[in-house]
Amino acid sequence: MIPGRLAPPTRLRGGAALAIAVKDATEIWRDGRFRWAAGLLLILLIAAIAGGVHNQSQIARQHADAQQAERDVWLDKGDMNPHAAAHYGAFVFKPVQPLSAIDPGLDPFVGVFVFLEAHKQQLARHRPIEDATPTRRLGQLTPASAALVLLPLLVVALTFSSFAGERDQGTLRPLLAMGISRRSLLAGKAMGAMLPLAAVIVPATIIGTVILIWNAPADPNAPIAARAAGIGAVYLLHTLIWVGLGLAISAQSKSQGTALVILLAIWFANAFIMPPLAMAAAKWIDPSPSAIEFAASIQDEKDSWPSWDQRVEKVMQRFLDGEFESTMAPSNVEVVALLESEADETALYDRRFTELFQRYQRQARSFERVGAIAPTLAARSLSMALAGTDEAHDREFAAAAARYRTAMLTTLNGELASSGRFNTFDYTRGRDLWEKVPPFDYDVPSARWALSQASWSASALVAWLLAISIAAAWSVSSMRLE
Amino acid sequence: MVWFLAGHEWRVLKASTVVRLVIAVFAIALVIASALGTARAEGERATIARFTVSVPHFQPAPGMIGDGANLSIRADVAANERGYLALLPTAPLSALAIGQGDVYPNYIKVTARSLDALVSGDQIEHPLAVASGQFDAAFVVLFLYPLLIFAVSFDLTATERDRGTLRMVLAQPVTLGEVVAGKMIVRVLKLLIPMLLITVGTALFAPAGADFWPRAMLWAAAIVAYGAIWHGIALVVNARGFSAPANALILAGIWLLFAVVGPSCVNLLIAIRYPMPSRVEAAVQARAATQDATVQGSRQLGQFLQDHPTSGNVGREGMRQFAMLQAQRDQKVAERLQAVEGTFNAQLERQRRLASWLSVLSPTMIAQGVLLDVAGTSTDRFDQFRAEAASFQQQWKAYFEPRVLDAATLTAAEFAAAPSFEFVEEPFTLTARRVAMPIIVMAIFAAVLIAIGFRSYRGYAL
Repeated sequence: MIPGRLAPPTRLRGGAALAIAVKDATEIWRDGRFRWAAGLLLILLIAAIAGGVHNQSQIARQHADAQQAERDVWLDKGDMNPHAAAHYGAFVFKPVQPLSAIDPGLDPFVGVFVFLEAHKQQLARHRPIEDATPTRRLGQLTPASAALVLLPLLVVALTFSSFAGERDQGTLRPLLAMGISRRSLLAGKAMGAMLPLAAVIVPATIIGTVILIWNAPADPNAPIAARAAGIGAVYLLHTLIWVGLGLAISAQSKSQGTALVILLAIWFANAFIMPPLAMAAAKWIDPSPSAIEFAASIQDEKDSWPSWDQRVEKVMQRFLDGEFESTMAPSNVEVVALLESEADETALYDRRFTELFQRYQRQARSFERVGAIAPTLAARSLSMALAGTDEAHDREFAAAAARYRTAMLTTLNGELASSGRFNTFDYTRGRDLWEKVPPFDYDVPSARWALSQASWSASALVAWLLAISIAAAWSVSSMRLE
Repeated sequence: MVWFLAGHEWRVLKASTVVRLVIAVFAIALVIASALGTARAEGERATIARFTVSVPHFQPAPGMIGDGANLSIRADVAANERGYLALLPTAPLSALAIGQGDVYPNYIKVTARSLDALVSGDQIEHPLAVASGQFDAAFVVLFLYPLLIFAVSFDLTATERDRGTLRMVLAQPVTLGEVVAGKMIVRVLKLLIPMLLITVGTALFAPAGADFWPRAMLWAAAIVAYGAIWHGIALVVNARGFSAPANALILAGIWLLFAVVGPSCVNLLIAIRYPMPSRVEAAVQARAATQDATVQGSRQLGQFLQDHPTSGNVGREGMRQFAMLQAQRDQKVAERLQAVEGTFNAQLERQRRLASWLSVLSPTMIAQGVLLDVAGTSTDRFDQFRAEAASFQQQWKAYFEPRVLDAATLTAAEFAAAPSFEFVEEPFTLTARRVAMPIIVMAIFAAVLIAIGFRSYRGYAL
């Protein structure tokens, strides 16, 4: 403390808080260990942002080029039967979100493209994790992991001794004896921890923003400002929660050693134990089928259907019964059978995939629920949602790809139906028809949608901040002085 | 004398709340991890068993002709549509380490065609589960074990020195080295005993394969060597003579650096410096390479269908022609595809090898590789499964292709005579030889650290 500046205690409520903050911040700043840790964290953050932007722009370019090349291949494939064109199929590449540079989220763990073809619907294939070295499973440094895992550690280091340290040294009672209210003390200690933190957060944010803007995304109109601001707010909120947690525990702990151990245990549980346990619980509540069971369930249902010849025969029978008298004119029996089988298949795949995705969604929800007891988990879910790299966005992309497949097949098979040929397969079309299938265009949902999907996490995070503020105020007002 | 001191220390630690808490946390984590791992391994085993039974069924089904004793099946239906489900048995110690089992599929559908010869879906696992990692014994060993080692050994001698009791102990006919050795032995055993009992017990509870005990021994050796490194680090830090809280802070920083920041930085470095070749680009290349063959083949098949409007009046000769046309197209497309895939796989292999060198930077990364390899859930075993399935596909194709081209039908006896697949586990000695090196490296590293620690203790200021 600087006694000279605290003469009449009653007039200095705000001033005292500021004085404490400045004194604490100065003390922390002068500590070589802090400067080392903060410097290291800053370097890691900047390296993570630069690396993330580098990887993201590379992958985004690959995907955009591939989509263009695929379009050219589709248009230039020459004349063929429209149904043969449906078998020829189309690749749809998952667009890479600009903010995946900040939080790649689930991107490395979901397929990068879908092959759309007649009769079959597939899940997105080639998850980058399959090609990665096995050590990749230990996690990769990303701006998100630096902000949500490493930054809280710095907060712990800054706050664990805030009250416990003063108490251990016996300076807590004299401090309060000077007439400083406990509330000012708390405000001062909070600011005292946040000022040095700002020395890391502010430059990292500025440098990160510059790198992001400088490396502008392929689509300059991509509305990422709201999402980026949201991610920034999430990280800030999460950091504040940790400041509150650190202060509350420091105020109530027996000694600074105990405070440190408790905070480290909470940190370890949040960052390492909770995610896998939450997922294990989610899978226990809603078990998902293994790949082999999923494939077999689809095959079993297909096996129960009539064969192609039986289908044609049945349609022929219906034709003879006069069912198609008014509508049959432009088509023939085989085309009707083809359209019907395609419709059955699409319905089957839609149903199975919807079941699977709903299960995934329920699992993701259960996982998210755990955010109520682990703020880092809530922040992680929210950060992924805003970056557009969570499970909801992946599901949305899969749905768009499935819709595109249906539209493509409808155009191609519809052309076959309206051709009026008796010999179905003796009919070829060219580029003019291929152009009728529009290029795949996927619009990422808005930031508002992303937030609505992760509303539980958002509420959990805000509730945590409120609860922790109250807890910190209570801890300080009821703390022992020695 | 060391053992006498160790016995004394054992009794001291037995009374310590912190140590009891640490061991309780450790045991609970291990039990939860083992329960989760066992449940998963059991589920996998049950699925594999279910599909193993259903493979050789020869009952009336779509594609089957006739009934009763005269039941027969079209060769192309048997060979391709039904195909053969090659299954990978549950890994020997998969209850301990799920490893890459949530990434790679444990089944491959084999067909007699050149194209789509090996079809496997991805392992269906929620991407969040893969991203979050699995809470298995390997996870507890890799992350929690080192942290708990530090939690029990950050104060080997500092507090006793500060209180002056260490000086009194040394007034007895014992050396400081012996005292420290006694303390270390007890701390090693306190954590190692529950660890080995619970993990090996779990594996024993759900045993698989004949090499259980040798594998369990390797698992134990890897854990001992990995733990020894962290005990060595703790010893070196303790020998520097700082206070207990300072030791705790330094050790926490080291843990963070080697177990968390190190691996994640190495992975970022790999992603930037040795990015894996792009699947997306490969898909486009494959598309371009096979376009001519696909379009030409489709046209020929279209021409054929045009000449034979309904399959009813194609006749066997027509079916033969169709099969031939299809096989020719497949062959042509597959050849071009193989060229692209070959280049891609070679590139991927090269990148992985280059990247794997960086893993020596962190003991956690080394230990992870060893534990997964011993458990049988490493990438290697899945690669081997794929290779074995590929060579089985050659037999399957050799058996069926002539029959498909002949548009033949198979009787039950002919169908039963088709080749079948059984995964041949790599000989244990190969696994042992592969993991011996990293285990020895870890052991040497630990020995050096412990030697340095004891040497520094000679200059320990009382």
